[in-house]
Formats: sequence, structure tokens, C-alpha cells
Amino acid sequence: MADWQGNYSVTTTTEDQMSAFTDKLIKREEERQTQLQKRRLEESEQSFKIQDSVRNFLDSFKSERRDLETSLAESKSVESSKLVEHFDILSQRVSKLQRYVSESAMFLPPYELKTAQNLLTSLQAKIQEKREELLPKKRFAFKSSNKKADKRTVVSVGNKSEETAKDSKSEDDLVIELAACKFVGTSNKTLQKNGNEINQKDIALANLTDCVVLLYGAPSAIHMNKLKNCKIFSGPVPGSIFIRDCTNCTFVLACQQLRIHSTTNSHFYIHVTSKAIIEDCNGIKFAPCNWTYDGQDEDYALSGLSKERNNWDSVDDFDWLAADAHSPNWSILDESERVASWNV
Amino acid sequence: MGLLTILKKMKQKEKEVRLLMLGLDNAGKTTILKKFNGEDIDTISPTLGFNIKTLEHRGFKLNIWDVGGQKSLRSYWRNYFESTDALIWVVDSADRMRLSDCKKELHSLLVEERLSGATLLVFANKQDLPGSLTAREIREALDLDSIKTHHWLIQDCSAVTGANLLNGMDWVVNDIASRIFTMD
Repeated sequence: MADWQGNYSVTTTTEDQMSAFTDKLIKREEERQTQLQKRRLEESEQSFKIQDSVRNFLDSFKSERRDLETSLAESKSVESSKLVEHFDILSQRVSKLQRYVSESAMFLPPYELKTAQNLLTSLQAKIQEKREELLPKKRFAFKSSNKKADKRTVVSVGNKSEETAKDSKSEDDLVIELAACKFVGTSNKTLQKNGNEINQKDIALANLTDCVVLLYGAPSAIHMNKLKNCKIFSGPVPGSIFIRDCTNCTFVLACQQLRIHSTTNSHFYIHVTSKAIIEDCNGIKFAPCNWTYDGQDEDYALSGLSKERNNWDSVDDFDWLAADAHSPNWSILDESERVASWNV
Repeated sequence: MGLLTILKKMKQKEKEVRLLMLGLDNAGKTTILKKFNGEDIDTISPTLGFNIKTLEHRGFKLNIWDVGGQKSLRSYWRNYFESTDALIWVVDSADRMRLSDCKKELHSLLVEERLSGATLLVFANKQDLPGSLTAREIREALDLDSIKTHHWLIQDCSAVTGANLLNGMDWVVNDIASRIFTMD
């Protein structure tokens, strides 16, 4: 009996246990299902979010691009005085858009990214093209006014640099016509330009023989090429002066950078705030700049060039890298040989 | 996973790019570098050798190598080609007398095998000078349209005023990023 009872009780417990177990299982299955559903929901939400931000991106990119294209197309009707500002705003907006694209690169599919980038590049090119079409570089206008300026100097100088410049256009190494501010292909002349013609401009001197060139003012940069037996004087240049292929010349210059190439037997009276360099040169002699003229201080102020700092005797020779011996290509002009005052 | 993918992944982690800045002497390479880095540009001497600057830009670490452009230094340019992500070619837009030199040197770089994957940015510098050529004129003079082997862009700029330097750098970084760093 005890056994039976015992057995019975055991069976009951088993059945109870079983049902409890099944309940538990069902419950767990339910929990699992809800969790799964929840997760699915979350997942779809997330992918929806990404799709959403991609769609958002595409929409705003498209509208901004359309907007930019419309304002670009309207460029023609913009007043000429406001054109510069107009284009500046356009380029600013393009770079803003570019930044937006790169910030969105994280979630964009590669194809969309590529497309957006291509569209941006072509937009940029279009703006640049339009800008060049509507805002031609000043020098076209400047050229005609320069002719007038040249006529003014004819009185004192009587030069024909404008005509001779045209002749030299065919020179093989001058692929592109030189900028408006220049003296080219002249000999036996005194050539002069004043502040109103050269301030903040870049100047070219090329193919001159036996000339004296006087640049009163503060030009931004000077390029010199193929000068023979010339004397060149210039006011302070806040940028660089670049000289090559000159012989038997005297240069009296003030500038920030001075680069001298393939030049021989020449004297330099210089005021250089960084360091002069020479390359493929020999017979070069340096002295401190000692030329003064009326209004020179104003030109220094205009140029921003320091009048105090002058490293005229610190020269780097790119063909002479030994530190322990002095370069044979240049030397300091002996004080007894220096010109004390310039009668120009 | 191929070796290339591994390499890409490694680069992606560092987000580090190497930019090589070249051009004829007097083009304004060092001035661009210093201006971009916010340094004083009034005391720059012609570069005898090279400068290197590492700077952070939009989450990228840019290693910019600025190598002197004097004729006597150009033969050393090749020493800097290895693992260059972008070549920045700087042009003095006002130096009309040496454009053919400029074109010749640029095109001789583009056939270099070690630069074959590199992005090319051409900076038409010195636009602050009234006598400078426009970006379009430089593009024609350097015959950029014949370049089919590199992604390229010409950007007019002025290192003195800082105009458009960021535009150019942003384009370079974007172009490298879309090429090298795989998007997850």
C-alpha cells in the first residue's frame, strides 16, 4: 500500500511536473517569439532609418544641386559689379555641398556616393567655365589701359616696347604671350615704369640688351629672362624675383625672395628678407642695396617688405652643398669696387 | 580576403594619406604648405631639400611632402614617389616663360609607375597677380585633357591670400577616400 501510495504520489508529481514543464516551455516559446518579433521590428526600423537618411540625402543633394544650377544659369542677368560676389557664393555653396557629401559617405551606398561626387565635379567645372566666360581676367581690360600708360612714358622714354613685344611673340621659348606689364626685346634704351603702372602687378623683362630699366614702385613679382649688359633697378617686391640667363648685368633690387639661374658675371646690390639662391651661375658678386629714390619709404610701406631685415650676404648655391668651403660661383663685391651713388 | 583588402583595411584604420607636392621652383609649394598649416609666409626661403608636415584635416591625417623644385633637385624627386596617394602639382600661373618646362616635367612624372595610382591635383597658384593665367589657360598649356591615367583636377588658387586652397585639398581627400577607404 505504502508502495502503491508512494508510486501514485510519484506519478502525480511527475504529471504535475510535466504540465509545469510544458507550461514553462510554452511560455518560453512565447517569450522567444515576442523577442524575435521585437528584434525584427527593430531591424526593419533601423534599415528604414538608413534608407530614410539615404533618401533624405538624395533629396537635399538634388534640391541644392538644382538650386545651384538655376543660380548658375541666371549668372548672365547678374549685375557685373556683383558678379564676383555671385561666383564666390556659388563656389562656397559647392564646397559646402562637397562637405555634406563626405560627411554622408558613411551610410551612402558606393553607387550613390560615386554619382554624387561626379555630379559635384561637373558642377564645379561648369561654375569655373561660366566664371571665366563672364569674368574674363582683368588683363584683357588692363592691356588697353596699359597702351595708354605706355604712351605716357613715351614722352620721357620714347620706347616702342608695345610693338617690339608683338614681334617677340614668335620666339620659340615664349609659348604664351607675356602679361601686360613688361619690357621685351629692346636695346639701348632707358625704360621706366612708375607706381601707378606697376604697384601690386607682376612684371616681365625679357630679351633686353644695353638697357637701363627703372621700376619705381612696389610690384608683386618680377620675372627676368635673357638680359645682356643691362642695369635693372626696382623698388621693394613683397614676393619673389626670378632671374635667368643674364650676362654682364647690374641688378639693384629689394625683395623677399631672389632666385638667380644660369647667370654669369653680374653684380647684385640687393635687399633680401629671406635668402638669395643661385643655380648654374658663376662670377656673381653681391653687395647691399644702396639705391634710394623719392617715395621709396611709401613703397616699402605699401609692399609690407621689412626695411630692417636684409640677408644680402647669405646666399645658397644649389650647386655647392659643401658647408666647410665657400662656393666658387659667388662672392661679396669688394667695398672699393662698389658703386657708391647711382646717377639714374 | 585578398592582400589588397587587408591593406585597405589597415589604411582605413589609420586614415592616413601621403601627399607629394612638386612643381618648378618659385611655384609657391612651401607657401601653400605653410599657409595651409596656418604659419607665417613672409620669411620663406627657397627650399634646399624638402619640408614635411603632418596635419589633421577632416579626420584624416595628411602627410604632406614639399620637395624643392630647383633644376638641381628634380632628379631627387623620384626618392619620394613610394606609396604616394596624391600628387599636388603647383604652377606659378604668372610664369609664362617656363610653361613648356612645367608641362614637360609634369608629363614625365605621370608615366612613373610608382605614381600610377595617385590622384593628381594641379594648383594654378598666384592668382592674386593680375598677369596670371587662368585655370583654363593653364589646363590647355599643360595639356591636362590628355591625361587619362590619373584622376585629376585643376584648381586656381592663391597661397598668399589662401583663396581656394581648402577647396583643392578637400577634393584630394575626397578622391583618395573614395578610392582607398572602403565604405562599410
